Parts: sequence; C-alpha cells; structure tokens
Amino acid sequence: MKSFRRLVYPYLVWAIIFIVLPMLMIVFYAFTAEGNSVMTINFTLENFWRFFSDSIFINVLLRSLKLALITTLICILIGYPSAYFMAKLKSNSQGVMVLLITLPMWINMLVRTYAWRGLLLESGLDPEIKVYIGMIYNFLPFMILQIYTSLSKLDQSLIVAAHDLGCDNKKAFLKVTLPLSIPGIISGITLVFLPAVSSFFIPKLLGGGSYVLVGNLVENYFVTTGDWNFGSAISLIMTIVILISMYFTRKFDYSKEDR
Amino acid sequence: MKNLLKALVLVLLLTLVGCGDSANVGDNEYGCEVLNVYNWGEYIGEDVIANFEDEFNVSVNYSLFDSNEAMYTKVLGGTHYDVLIPSDYMIERMIDEDLLQPLDKSIITNMDLLYEGTLNKPYDMDNTYSIPYFWGNVGIVYDKTIVDPSDVENEEWEVLKNEKYAGQIYMYDSERDSFMVALKALGYSMNTTNEDEIQEAYEWLVDLQKTMAPAYATDEAIDGLIYGEKAMGVMYSGDAAYILSENENMAFYAPEKMGTNYWNDAMVIPKDAECPGLANEFINYILTYEASYDNTATVGYASANAEVFEDMANEGGMYEGNPAFKPRPQNEKDEVFANIEEVRELISELWIKVKNS
Repeated sequence: MKSFRRLVYPYLVWAIIFIVLPMLMIVFYAFTAEGNSVMTINFTLENFWRFFSDSIFINVLLRSLKLALITTLICILIGYPSAYFMAKLKSNSQGVMVLLITLPMWINMLVRTYAWRGLLLESGLDPEIKVYIGMIYNFLPFMILQIYTSLSKLDQSLIVAAHDLGCDNKKAFLKVTLPLSIPGIISGITLVFLPAVSSFFIPKLLGGGSYVLVGNLVENYFVTTGDWNFGSAISLIMTIVILISMYFTRKFDYSKEDR
Repeated sequence: MKNLLKALVLVLLLTLVGCGDSANVGDNEYGCEVLNVYNWGEYIGEDVIANFEDEFNVSVNYSLFDSNEAMYTKVLGGTHYDVLIPSDYMIERMIDEDLLQPLDKSIITNMDLLYEGTLNKPYDMDNTYSIPYFWGNVGIVYDKTIVDPSDVENEEWEVLKNEKYAGQIYMYDSERDSFMVALKALGYSMNTTNEDEIQEAYEWLVDLQKTMAPAYATDEAIDGLIYGEKAMGVMYSGDAAYILSENENMAFYAPEKMGTNYWNDAMVIPKDAECPGLANEFINYILTYEASYDNTATVGYASANAEVFEDMANEGGMYEGNPAFKPRPQNEKDEVFANIEEVRELISELWIKVKNS
C-alpha cells in the first residue's frame, strides 16, 4: 500500500503549479497596488475598499449570487422529481435515461449556448429570462445525475420497513427517502452553484452584453482595463463568498447525518 | 512495461518522421524555424500564411486575439511574438512603454506601395515602428427598410437615441468605441482627458442605455444585423462592408458633421522578438500586391496597399459600389485614437456603470 502513495505525487505537483501558485499570486495581487511592475510593492487594502464602497460592484455581486441561487433552486425542483422517477424505473430503462441526460453534454457547452441564442433570438423574452433558461439548461444534468446516484443506491428494504411501521407513502418519502438523498442534493448544489456563481459566458452570450456578473467584472479588469490588482481582489472576494456558502451547505449536510 | 516503452519510442519516432516532411524548415537566411505572428481573428487571407511559409522555409505559428487589451496583456505576460498587428492607440502605448523595436527599412522595401493616407499618423509620426495593415473608420450600419436614411444622415450619432428605434440597436461592446460615439455626439474630442467631458459622455451613454435598451455586442452584431435581429448598429467599416455584401437592405453611414474614429491597424515587432529579421520580411511580404489582395478579398477591410485598395473599390472590383469598403477620406472632425493613459481607468469604470445602469 505504501508504494502506491507515490502515485499521488504527480497530482501534488500539478496542484501546486496550477492551483496553489496561481492562488497565491491572486492573493498577492489583490493586496498590492501599482500595475504590473513588481519592482515596487505597495501593500494596500485599497482594492477591497474600492469594491465595497461602490454600490455598483455590490449590486453585481448580489446579482451573481441571486442568479446562482435561483438556478440551483430550480435545478433541484426540476431535478429531484426527474431523478426520483428515473430511480424507480427498470434497470434497463435507467441506463437509457442516464444516456439521454448525458447525451447533450457530448456537445461542447459553448456550441449549445450558441444554439440557444439562435432559438431565443426572436422570442422577445427579457434578457434576464434568457440567461436563466441558458443557465438551467446547462446545469440541470449535473443536479439530476447527482440525486439519481444517491437515490438509486437507496436500500429499498428501508422503505418497506417504514411501511411496515405504519408510514404512508408520503411519510415514508419524507422520513426515509429524502433524508437519505440529502448527500446527493448537496453534491448537486456544489456542482451547480459553484460554476453558476462565477459563470460569465452564458450571461454574456444570452444577456446581450448588458447583464454584467462578477465573472464579467473579473474578465473586464484583467483583459480590458489591465488592472490585475483590482481584478484579483474581485476574484478573491468571490472565492471567499464561495467558501462561506460551501461551509454552510456542508454544515447542513453533517447536521442531517448526525441525527 | 517493456511494451509500453516500445510503444512510446515508436510514437516518438513517428512524430520525428512527421516533422521530416518539411525537412528544410529553418533553411532561410535568418536561421529561424518558427515565426510567431499574433493577429486579430478573421483578419488574414486564406493563403497568405501558407505562401509565406513556402517562400521562406519557415513554419508560422499564427495565433489570434479579439481585443487590443487582450493582446497587450498576453505580450506583457511574457509570451514571445515576432509580429503583432494592434491598433493605433495601442501602438502608441507600446511605443511609450518601450515594448517595440524600430523596423528595418532595408528589409521592408515595399513601403512605396502603401496608400499615402495611412502613413505618418500621430501614433507613430514617421512610421519608425509600424507599417499599416488595414484602415478605415467607424459608422452606423442600418436597415433601409426600417430606419429612415434621412434620420441617420441628419441626426448622425444622435440617431442611436431616436426613440423610434428603441430596442433596435447594437452598441459596440468596448469602452473606447462607445465613449468615442458619445464624445463625438457631444462635440468633444474622442481623446479628451477632461473629466467633465467624460462625465457628460457617461451620462449620454446612461441615457441611451435607459431609453433605448441596446444590446452590447462586438462580432455577434455582424450576424445579428445580417439576419435582421436588430435594425441598426455601431460598426467598423470593414465589418460593415461584409454586412452590406451579405444583406442588400443594409446601408452604412459614417457621421461627417460630428466626425468619427479614423483608425489604422498596423504591423509592429516587439522588442523581445526571437526572429526580428524574418519578422521584417513578413511585414514586407504582407505589403505585396498578392498578399494584400488576398487579405482584403477575404476579410473586407480596406487594404493599406494603394493599388489593391483602388482595384477593389473601382469598377469591376470586388467591393465596387460598397460604401463601407471605401472609407470616407479623413475630415477635420475625424480623429485617430490616442493613448490616454490618465483617464483609462476612469473610462473603464464608467463603462461598467453604464452597462449596469
């Protein structure tokens, strides 16, 4: 077993080069001022002050969180029943259903979003609605598959036992099935909420350019303005917001398990 | 394990043999195997690169950018390129920041083929660092069947705020271009550093955002206008020429009384180029009739090669009678973008606010 431990080194090296170092650089940039010349290092909190003192930036952050939150909620609302009925099917049909759900993912997300752009072109819908349609469409499969996995592993004898002990269908679902599928929902939330909160391409393409989210802000400050310090500060704020929300979802997960 | 090794060796050998196809790559007087060229997307003729590769026995590594700022960030990030093709104000900025090297005019012998109107512009007064590639201006593309041409010609940039056409317009999704429109509409210089004027332009744009609900787009607007998604849009002349050739209902107008952006994209060589000699050869090659013709025919922008430009615009030429291909000569109200360092951040921040208002 010990010799296998060495197999983890390639990943460790990969993680250090591509995750830890860039993250450190972002932290470094976020707390410094003065462009790209690393010659003069000025540590400052100015970048954060600039973000939180301007209602525009706060609004963009809130809008991103709202978009991600609503997307995740709708994905759960549509995804849970779908996953539930999938899990009830015969195992052959289940395979077909999983295939059908994953099928669109064989096509690049960009291409599918462009297709939506064409479909919604003459719909006259509000840009915001278009963005929601695109987001939910893109992230729904992740939610369904996560919940489906946890539901299909569910031990059916537990439900039989619940019935034996006098639960009707509704009660058996609420007392047994739902609590046991919480881990699936949680990992579904992780897979939907995180990319949704930082997504910038779908809103850009479907929202007609006027729907600015945190992702667009970061892109704008890095690429167009060239203000890497402020761009880094925004990404760091974003990261912290994500960490906090992850902390609370995890906590919710554990507290369920404790019972 | 041994089999795996064998397989690896085999793959390596195959790769080497693959390279052997072009055995004489690097067999040019500069001894360079690769020339790194960094250009705008959809901005070159179909055979230009291949022909250059054959003539100079070099392999061209051709990459694309979609904005001057993205290009600048990449170059500053330490990626080495031999030839870049940025716009006027970015060239000025790169000269100011000492990122470019003077061109070797003993290699670039085709300079006399250039259209005079593209030379000696304020961003590089005597073309020490840059040789023009494409040029043109910015105007309004509109659908004649929906938008009254006299509205466009009378109101010029203000037509973008004519509420008859609310919900029907594309604004250019770039801070510099949008502020150009607003500043010109207000009668100011598009290179102003006066913060009051910029503030006024900002309010002009906010007003437009609120009353007209424009879509902000760059290249997406090209298809959008061809397929009639919207009726009007701010457009670069070359893209406009393409739109006009695809949809006959479309017309182009570059505001005359208010003036517009008269732009140049030009070829430059960064200081840290790995093969400056061949880079100069590349620039010289682009100036030839053959390469310039291929570029313009494919892309639709006005060539800096005088003969190609005339041939295309005149009788029997590919873009005969296409008003967007032949940019109106620069008038006194037109300007070339300058690098306005002191208000760059201000404009950038105001632009985000415009889109969020």
